[in-house]
Amino acid sequence: MLTNVLEVKNLTKNFGKVCAVNNISFSIKEGEILGLLGSNGAGKTTTIQMLLGTLTPSSGDIYFFNKEFNKNREEILKKINFCSSYIRLPWKMTVYENLDVVARLYEVKDRKKRINKLLDVFDIKEFQNKLVSSLSAGQSMRVILAKAFINFPRLILLDEPTSSLDPEIAEKVRTFLKSEQENFKVSMLFTSHNMAEVESMCARVIFLNKGKIIAEDTPVNLAKEIEISRVDLIVDKNIDRVLEICTENRWEVGIDKPHIKVELKEKDIPRLLSVLNEEKVVYSEISIEKPDLEDFFLEMSKRRNEK
Amino acid sequence: MNFNIVWAVVVRHLYNFKHSLDRLTDAFYWPAMDIFIWGFTSMYIAKQANQLPQIIIMLLSGVVLWLVVWRAQYEITVNLLEEMWSSNLVNLFASPLRIREWVLAVFILGLIKMIFSVGFSILLALVLYKTNIFSLGFYLIPFIMSLTITGWAVGLFVSGLIIRYGMRIQTFAWGGIALLSPFSGVYYPISTLPLWAQRVAMYVPTSYIFEGMRSVIFKGSMLYGDLVKSFAINIIYMIVGLLFFNLMFKKSKLRGLADLE
Repeated sequence: MLTNVLEVKNLTKNFGKVCAVNNISFSIKEGEILGLLGSNGAGKTTTIQMLLGTLTPSSGDIYFFNKEFNKNREEILKKINFCSSYIRLPWKMTVYENLDVVARLYEVKDRKKRINKLLDVFDIKEFQNKLVSSLSAGQSMRVILAKAFINFPRLILLDEPTSSLDPEIAEKVRTFLKSEQENFKVSMLFTSHNMAEVESMCARVIFLNKGKIIAEDTPVNLAKEIEISRVDLIVDKNIDRVLEICTENRWEVGIDKPHIKVELKEKDIPRLLSVLNEEKVVYSEISIEKPDLEDFFLEMSKRRNEK
Repeated sequence: MNFNIVWAVVVRHLYNFKHSLDRLTDAFYWPAMDIFIWGFTSMYIAKQANQLPQIIIMLLSGVVLWLVVWRAQYEITVNLLEEMWSSNLVNLFASPLRIREWVLAVFILGLIKMIFSVGFSILLALVLYKTNIFSLGFYLIPFIMSLTITGWAVGLFVSGLIIRYGMRIQTFAWGGIALLSPFSGVYYPISTLPLWAQRVAMYVPTSYIFEGMRSVIFKGSMLYGDLVKSFAINIIYMIVGLLFFNLMFKKSKLRGLADLE
């Protein structure tokens, strides 16, 4: 049975009258990648700051590796690390000097070897002697990622790690993260606004809204909660009849001739196709989009705005 | 010339002035400090015109020894600011680094820089003015030790304020210690000060050191009791400084260290 590397119990953070994180509980198992999702201001970064010990919770308990964080801070922080698009590194130092200092802080054995390995992994060797201030946003992010892996962390907190990377490097980073998870059972807490990325990376996702966990499941199961699928058709004949059929069945329809977009429950798709056939509606192309995590995210955000 | 546009630039800086403690300090604090210190120094020198060679040694020794206090506190406060300026505070304190380890590190850093800085100043005084600060002899060791501790204690206190209230009060990093300067009697005896200021000076550890410095220069010795008083007050300052910094660090974590960057 896999052990918990992180267990959060009833964690709450109030800033005056504002409750940023409201009584949340969750855990991460060894080798698991857990997605932490939510709109801006949902409480994701606040949660990560509390997990790093740079923000004191109002109440609640945090356990890493079955040890209480407050009482074992240094021992725990040696085994975890983080990467965030919101942090920077000292800009008057070179990339190598920065990594060297971090490696010393974490007492990494054979620092040079580890730094050189990470310089290769994150494709930053060519600018290792450049000042951090001269790097682009994407290059800086890769250095921050290298910093985050310098101490061979058993758990890593990744706050939008690929947000400023180009697609090629982002894919390389995802591959590296997956390999760390598979080969070394590194656990990860992963936040991102790229839902496709979360679906591909995370076995499980928790969804925060106004500091509360409002959903927790696999990305597939969360997507299933959204019942509406989309059917896109390019209709050559009887386009008005399609409109009538949709109206009769109370299906949402959008027309941009010759494109027709029908929104309906997944179970109604066979019926739509059958009716189109009966009514001799000729279509040259059809595509069916099942709901995904992005639809779930948008639906949750919509509900939040409606409240 | 479009004076509306010129005025726009003036207004831009007036707005900044309103929100910036640094600019206010530039305008009032430093001139006030200069007037206090050089006013009292001038009054003292006017009465001691017959002892000019010792006065020169006293002034240069005062400059060098004040550098010890200033450098010790500056290294703590500016190193903290450096971490804030480069948004590195979260990186540091999300690592296994303990507060006491950070404090010790900046103490060591302060000592190293002070040795170079003070050494360089002593050399300059010797080369340019033929003034040997080492003429203070054995006393130089306890003087430097005591002044360093004062600098560290004030540095911790100011750092506590900075870590609690952030960069908007960063001017204290280089200006905080100057508040002790008029009461320390760096360039003039404490007796030159008005009575109320003399009473304040009794609680300022550096005042005993600079009085001692003058006593050594003019009489060749000083009262050991003054050294003891200086160290005793310093111990209290140091304990208060450490406790205050620790308390402010904890308070800052209630709002989050990221909030400071």
